[in-house]
Amino acid sequence: MATPLAAASAYTNIANIGRIADPSAALAGATGAGAKSDTSFGSVLKEAMDAITETGKKSDTQARAMANGKSNMVDVATAVAETEVAIDAVVAVRDKVIAAYEDIMKMPI
Amino acid sequence: MDFLKSMQIAASGLRAQAGRMRVISENIANADSTPARPGADPYRRKIPTFTSEFDRALDARVVGVGKVTTDKSDFRVKYEPGHPAADASGNVKYPNVNALVEMTDMRDAQRSYEANVNVISATRRMIQRTIDILKA
Repeated sequence: MATPLAAASAYTNIANIGRIADPSAALAGATGAGAKSDTSFGSVLKEAMDAITETGKKSDTQARAMANGKSNMVDVATAVAETEVAIDAVVAVRDKVIAAYEDIMKMPI
Repeated sequence: MDFLKSMQIAASGLRAQAGRMRVISENIANADSTPARPGADPYRRKIPTFTSEFDRALDARVVGVGKVTTDKSDFRVKYEPGHPAADASGNVKYPNVNALVEMTDMRDAQRSYEANVNVISATRRMIQRTIDILKA
C-alpha cells in the first residue's frame, strides 16, 4: 500500500519547506523529486487516474454505441459498473491520503 | 481483479440468456405461421444450445450461445380445406411449436438471467464493502 509512504513523503516535503527560506522553490524541488520516485503520491494518483480515464473511455464508447443502437445493454452495464468501482476506489484512496496530509498539517509545530 | 472477472463471466451468462430469449421469441411469434405454398413445410421450431468457451483474457470458462438447431419433431396437422396452404386432402401443417413448452423455456431463461444479475449485484456489493474499509 502506497498510502503511508505517500504520507511520509508529504511530511518530508513540509519539513523541507520549513527549513528553506523560499517555500515555493522548496515545493518545486520537492515535487520534482517526488515525480522521480515511483512511490510518491502524485505518481500513484496519476497512474490510477490514467487507468480510470481508460475504463471511462471504454464505458463512454459503449454508451455511445448503445445510443446509436449498435451495442448490447449488458456490455454498457458492465462497463459502467467497472468504471464506477474504479473511480470509487481511487476517490477513497485520495480522501484517505488527503486526510492524512491534513492531520500532519494540523500538527502544532 | 477476480471481482471484475466474475462480473464479466456473469455478463456472458446474461448475453447467452438474451440470445436464448431471442430464439424463444422467434418460436412464439411464429407459432401460427403456415407454409407459403400448399403442401410445403411451415416454420420449424428452433432450439438454442449453450457452449462453454474458454476465455483467455478472463482465464475462465464463459458461456455462449452455440448453434441454433431445429426441432425435428412432427408438425401439427389441422384439417382446414378452405386454407390457402391446405394440401390435396385439405390438411394444413402448422409449426411444431408448443406454446406451453415455450412459456416454460421463457420462464427458465428469465430465472437464469435473474441468477446472473444477482451474481453481478452481489459482486458489486462485495467490491463496495471492500472500498468502504478504505473510507471508514
